[in-house]
Order: sequence, then structure tokens, then C-alpha cells
Amino acid sequence: MLIEFTLNRKRVAVEAPPDITLLTLLRDYFNLTGTKEGCSVGECGACAVIMDGRLVNSCLVLAPQAAGSEVITIEGIRGPDGGPNDMQENFITYGAVQCGICIPGMIMAGEALLMHNPNPTRAEIRTALAGNLCRCTGYQQIVDAIEATARSREGNR
Amino acid sequence: MPEYQYIGKPARRVDALEKVLGTAKYIADRKLPGMLHARCLRSEVPHARIVKLDVTPALAVPGVRGVITSEDFFEHGLYGFPVKDKYMLAYQKVRYVGEAIAAVAADTPEAALAGVQAIICELEPLPGVFDMEHALDADAPQVGPDRPDGEHPNFLDKLIVRKGDPLAVWEQSPIKLEERYTVGPQEHAYIEPEGVLAVPTPEGGVVVYAPNQSPFINHGNLALVLNLPHNLVRVIQPPVGGSFGGKDDIIYESSAQVARLALITGKPVRMVFSREESLIVSYKRDAMRMHIWLAADPDGTLRACKFDGLLDSGAYASESSFTAWRASIHAMGAYRYDACHVDITAVYTNNGYCGAFRGFGNTEVCMAIEQAIDEMAYKVGMDPIDFRLKNCLRLGDETVHGQRLTESVGLAECLMAVRRLSDWDRKRAEYTRRDVACNVSTTNDIRRGIGVAALYHGTSLGAEGQDYANATIAIEQDNSIDITSGLTDYGTGSRTVFTLIAAEELGVRPERIHMQRPDTDTAIESGPTVASRSTMLGGNAMRIAAMNLRQTLDYAAADLLGCELHQLIRHGEAYVGPAEEPVPWERVVAHAREMGLALSAHGKWTAPRINWDHHAGRGTPYMAYHFAAQVAEVEVDMGTGNVQVIGFWAAHDLGKMIFPQGAYGQLYGGIAQGLGYALMEQITFVNGYIQETNFESYLIPTAVDVPEIVGTFIEAPFSHGPYGAKNIAEPAMVPTAPAILNAIYHATGRRVRDLPANLERVLLGHDLAKGGSPRACKLGLHIA
Ligand code: FES
Ligand code: FES
Repeated sequence: MLIEFTLNRKRVAVEAPPDITLLTLLRDYFNLTGTKEGCSVGECGACAVIMDGRLVNSCLVLAPQAAGSEVITIEGIRGPDGGPNDMQENFITYGAVQCGICIPGMIMAGEALLMHNPNPTRAEIRTALAGNLCRCTGYQQIVDAIEATARSREGNR
Repeated sequence: MPEYQYIGKPARRVDALEKVLGTAKYIADRKLPGMLHARCLRSEVPHARIVKLDVTPALAVPGVRGVITSEDFFEHGLYGFPVKDKYMLAYQKVRYVGEAIAAVAADTPEAALAGVQAIICELEPLPGVFDMEHALDADAPQVGPDRPDGEHPNFLDKLIVRKGDPLAVWEQSPIKLEERYTVGPQEHAYIEPEGVLAVPTPEGGVVVYAPNQSPFINHGNLALVLNLPHNLVRVIQPPVGGSFGGKDDIIYESSAQVARLALITGKPVRMVFSREESLIVSYKRDAMRMHIWLAADPDGTLRACKFDGLLDSGAYASESSFTAWRASIHAMGAYRYDACHVDITAVYTNNGYCGAFRGFGNTEVCMAIEQAIDEMAYKVGMDPIDFRLKNCLRLGDETVHGQRLTESVGLAECLMAVRRLSDWDRKRAEYTRRDVACNVSTTNDIRRGIGVAALYHGTSLGAEGQDYANATIAIEQDNSIDITSGLTDYGTGSRTVFTLIAAEELGVRPERIHMQRPDTDTAIESGPTVASRSTMLGGNAMRIAAMNLRQTLDYAAADLLGCELHQLIRHGEAYVGPAEEPVPWERVVAHAREMGLALSAHGKWTAPRINWDHHAGRGTPYMAYHFAAQVAEVEVDMGTGNVQVIGFWAAHDLGKMIFPQGAYGQLYGGIAQGLGYALMEQITFVNGYIQETNFESYLIPTAVDVPEIVGTFIEAPFSHGPYGAKNIAEPAMVPTAPAILNAIYHATGRRVRDLPANLERVLLGHDLAKGGSPRACKLGLHIA
């Protein structure tokens, strides 16, 4: 079937079977491999993307459900110069990245949080990350990076 | 202490940019034109003889391009170190659920699955061994290989430590403890499931992209089982999505399978596991049963320790004899005793199989001994930190193994640091004042407790093996610098550590330096990347390589500036001579080229010789030790048994910190893994069938389970470490579980001596009877 939607701010249309997930659609049909597969059952958040302003696990979304929606993946998170944005830069500065496999999902979760709550507490950040597993970092530096991003975005407002 | 330009200063992880942008290509992200998809036929029974295996029907399935069995490997693909007992594909027998029997490569994953289903495989079930206590019974079914030495075939190894006669001391002692502790298996739960990609080369060889920890071991195995000369095999490590000790044997096996399929079909072949396949098939941290006797004087002086441990290696040896050795060395904890015996016995069963996992035996024994030490502190009526301070190893002490500690012993400082940081004395007094007797019927009864655990952890391999590493460094035509190491970075940050060391020694900005991906064609073999040895071994090798190159550049600079070597000083990257006119680094490099000097260098570092007498159970097991203390504060809901860790403090003597964000990251991440080990991570084998097949049943800590952690590093430098550095990756997690368990005891008055301390163990003190079944496990093997 033909699935039309907005992907990283571009209108796209793709012919795909109706029984695949949004995760498969992104990875296999658009070659957007920044969105990772860690469990396929909605438990790890490695596949998290922002869909119509909400954080979703793309392994739990059927591809046709994306029709007409606006989807942002890690490839759509960039600074004005096409390089890393401030959140991504902070992930580097605060040492939030180890093996990196969870990091795209973590950044999507961070961005989704700041869309709705621009000034979260550390506890609120942790709650927002509760659906994203990281086995390497113990989360602390990820929380640091998101907190620092929130503070500087607030300051620039 | 000398002032460094880059060592110990905040830095950018060299591979962080591609990871935050989402452009890093892990195996599952790599595709090649014409690439085939591979999948294994796996055993659905824990122990069986392979009576019939006919793969020809699979070859008739549309899209299937190749099928292999153990017949396709040299000597049936037998491999393993130190014990050769496993096959790249099962030969004659299967010994655990999930063991690979045959592998299929096909145009699509669906065709590969159809191919697997078409294989005719008849298994004749054999009785299994599911309880390690009965593995060595005379009539126990044979799981392990034949033992020509007359030992029971299910006996893998026994490791001992001997000093004096602890039981004699114990009998006489006024204060004694005898307790049993158990730990279950733990899953590594790297968020990237296993995957490998093999590409056949025009010259008849194969390139394997494999997220393994030790590409050179993979390389050696591949050459052996594929019967190819070493130069026709190349292993490259792509970004690795977590490992923690887990991505070795299982990746070697998958590598051999895809490599053979690639050679047979002439096409690239990739195999990627589902989470279910990963959980069922991969090796785990070993389960252990431990029995401890401790004796002390009324004044709190520890006198004797006897420690018996039984380790379940599962169906194969993997690294278990090394794990058991490390367990034996650390089993008594970082304390002085007049007498100490340790006996760790490793046995074969049909409970999956076990291999390396962060802490490598010490994580298991530390959970037991640090609780036992805590129990002793209560018995003698001392504060747990005071009791540890009274007995802990200090500079100049001799360990029970007979090793004199002559430098770099920071344990007492660590204990005092966590005492201060955690506000221990106040909280201890406040939480103790309440009646510690339990009343489980009270709902909404939330109790707080605070607990401590101490640790020592031998650096690098110790007497486990040859301890050396190699590094290379070269200046390219564009004046960028390429460095290589035979040790790899699977998320640990070692590539950044090596980059900082090279920058420090050469006096150039880290941005000039490119640390290449580990590749057996370009790097030099350096032993395995295990045992938290990268910073020390690889770091020293890199330091030497960079020093060698710097000497060349210094000669060129002195020649250019017309002065003596000792007159040179550095101003940033620039060289300055007596004329005080700075000369840019690039000009010195250009001048070196004109002089015909080689702008590349090699560094090799070999650890000082140490020795361990396995029969006597005495010697010098490790050249140095990492010391640490951790404190956990918990809230226990006495109505539900729920434990929330609300505060955590850790002080670690790592010798010298090189890459701060990396060191703290290792610390926080290790503590999170230890927290999971303590409270929620449970692997259950029911008659050989694993019950936890995805993250909805195998729970690992989330951001709300892990508290804010306060970490601090004590730097007691080690003279043989680069800039004094020792290690951090493994020790970070080792004392976490006992610190939490000791805090639970402080809160509730209840000892949980079996891990994990799940709700029912905290609430009721025992397990609820649970039925299990093979169902989820078998289902997991079928999920595409
Ligand atoms: S892959 Fe979607 S939540 Fe794990
Ligand atoms: S950085 Fe490895 S899982 Fe998060």
C-alpha cells in the first residue's frame, strides 16, 4: 500500500506492505538506520521516534498508522549548520555516550520531553526516560545532558 | 604531581559525534548488494544426541543459497580457550537449549527461516543435569567432555587459595559465623543484540565485521576452523552496542558460521539475532553457591576465613576456569587474616552456558563475602565501616596469597571518603534507632537503611595469562596522526584514552589524532580485551609508541633549530629553541621528512612477571589492585517488599584518572548494573529452559530505578600504570550488590542471602513456588 506522511520535515510517499512496523519502514525503506531495534516488543526505547509531537516506540506502530502523520527521527535532529544540535552537543560534552546504541532513542526522548516541559527537574527527566533502557551509562550523564540543554534553551528564550 | 595537558582533563569521546547523530553503523545497520541473511537451526532440548541431520531439503527451498553443519568446519569446528569443548555448530550432541545445529543463508530472512524449518533433524533426548549440586554425582549424566585423568566428566576445574588452617582457628574462635549465599545467572543485556557480517574476498579469504571484544581471538578461531592461512582472514570491529564481557564466544561462533556461508556462496552474509535469540542463546554470568566461615576476636580483629564455592558453568567451559580463578583470589575480600582457605569448584550442567561478565567471579563472591563481613561487624558490635577499617588491607600488608602490597593501596581512604560523603554516621544512627524487628503485616511501613561494601579487584589478567599489548602511531602526509591498538573499544572509551595518551606524549592536540577501528590487518595482536586491562596495558603501549615517535621529532626539531635536545621546550604544539622563536609542529614534521626519518613508531608493553602456584594456592596473583568502597541508602516498603535505592556514594582508587567523563561513565554504569544484579535481574532455568526471553520478563534498571550517584576518585598511583593509572570498568559494579543488601538488612533486620533481592525474598525471606515451562523459550527460538 502507499503510505504518505511527513518524515523529518519532508513529505514522503512509499509503497510498502501493510503489516510491517514503522521501525522496519524507517530502517529498510528509508535507510534511516539511526533508529535502532533492541527488543521489538516496546520495552527498550531504542526505536523511539517523535510522531505528531509524541514519543513513540516505532516497533509498536504499524507502518500504515504513520499515514498523514509527522515523524521525526534522529536523522531529523540537527543544528542550524547540519551538525549536532545543542542537545546532541551536550550529550558529547557531558560524557552521556558510551556504546551509543540507546543514544538516538535517548535524544528523541529528551527532545520530546522539552517540547512539553521546557524546564524539567532531574526527577522529571528520569521519569521521561523510564521507557528507554541504557545498559552502559547508569543514566546520570544522560540526565546531565538533557538538564543542561533545558537550562540553556530556557536562558535563550 | 606533574601537570598534564590532556591527561585527566575533560575530553570529547572520539566516537561520540557519529553516535549522537545516529550515523554510526552497527552490524544491523550495514547492508551490501546481494547480501544474504543467515539464521541457525537451534536445539529445543537441553541435552540430546543428534541422530539424524539432513540439510538437503533446505537447499531445495526457494531463496536458500547455502546450508552448513559441523561437517563444514575443520575438526567439526572444535574451539575454546582454555578448554576446547565447543563446536561452531553442534557435533553429535547438543547440550543446551538454543545451541546452534545448522546454519542457513538465503536471499531474505523469510527464506532463511523456511530453510531452517525444512532441515530434517532428529534428536534423541538424554537425561540432563540441572542442579549444580548434583553435577558430580556418580550417576550424573555426562555433560562435559571425556576426562582421561579419571576426574568426573562434569568436573571443570577447582581453584584454591591456602594460608594456615582456618577451620582450626574457627573452632577455637569466640566469635564465628557460618552462612550460605547464592547468586543466579545474570544476562549482559547489551541493548544491541548480536550480529555479524562476512564478506568473501576475491583472493579466497573472508572479511568478518564482528562486534566482538577480542578480534584477534576471533581471527585465530576463524583461521583454524575454516582451515585458512591467517593472511586470508580479517576481522574488523564495527561500533559495538555494549558487551560487558558478553560478546566473545557467541560472536566467534556466529562469525564462523557466516564466514563459512560467505565462502560457500561467494556472497556477503549477515546474521542478526532477535532479542529472544540473544537471551536464549548467549552465555550468562555464572550462578554460584557459596559457603563461608568467618572467625574474629571480640575486639573485632578478623582471624580466619574459609570459603567454598560451587560455580555452574553450564554446558560449556567458555571462560569459567578463569572466572573461578578470579573468584578464588578475591573470595575472602580485601582483609587480613591469619588463616584462609578458598576452594572454588566449577562444574558442567545443561543450564545454558556461562562465560565472562563484568567483574568475572569477583562480582559473585563479593556479594557473599561483603555480606558476611557485615554480619560479623554486627556480631562483634562494631560499625560496619569501623570494622572494615580495622581489618582492611593497607600499604605494607601481606595478602592471604602471600603478596606484599608495596604501593597503590587506597582502600582506607575510599572507606573514609564514602563515610563522609554519605553522611554515614548520622544516617546510621538515625535509621538504627528504630526497632529493627520486622513486622510484615504493617502496610505503608517504609523503612530506611544504609549499607557499605568494600572491594579489591586485581588489575588486568594477572596470572591468568601472558600480559602485553601493542600500539602503533604514524604521521600521515596531511600531518594527521593515525594510531592503532590491538585492544578494542566496545563502548568503554578506550579509544579516547589512547588518543589522549598519544596527544599528551607527542604534545599535539587530540583533534589531530585518528584512532582507527580495531582491525586484525592493521593493528598488532595484544591479547584479549578483557579484565579492564585496556587503560593500563594498551595505554602503556600507546605511551611508548608516542614517546618513540616524539624522540624522532625532537631530533628533527633540534636539527632544525640548531640546538641540543635538552634545550628544546614546547609551547603548545610548537617547538622552541634557544632563539625563542616558536617553530610550528608541521615544520618540524616536514624537516623530519627531509632528514629521511621514519614518522611512525611501535610500542609494546609487557606487564611485570608475576606468578601463581595453582597447586599450592599461593603466589602473586596480580601486579596491582583497584580498591573501592560504596555506600547505598535504601527505602524498603515493608508492605510490598519493594526496595528503592535513594542514595549512592562510591569512592574508587583507580590509580589515576585519564578521561574523566569516561571514568565517571564507567562508574555510574557499573553501579547501575550492580543495582540490577542486586534487586531485579533474574534468570531462571526450569529443566534447562530459560524463562526470561525478552525485556518484559528480564528487567534491567531504568532511569527511575537508579538514584543520583555521588562518585569520587582516589588516586593512589601505580608505578607501572600509565601516569599511575590502574583500572575502572569492572570494579565499578562489583561492590554494589552487597552495599544494597547490607542497606536492606539495616532497614529491615532481614538478610537476603540469595540474589536477586526481589519482592518475595525481601518480604517473605524465600521464593514463591513458580511453575516454569519450556513454552516461552521454544517460542523465542521461532521468532523471525
Ligand atoms: S525495539 Fe522498540 S522498544 Fe525495543
Ligand atoms: S550507551 Fe550503551 S546502551 Fe546506552
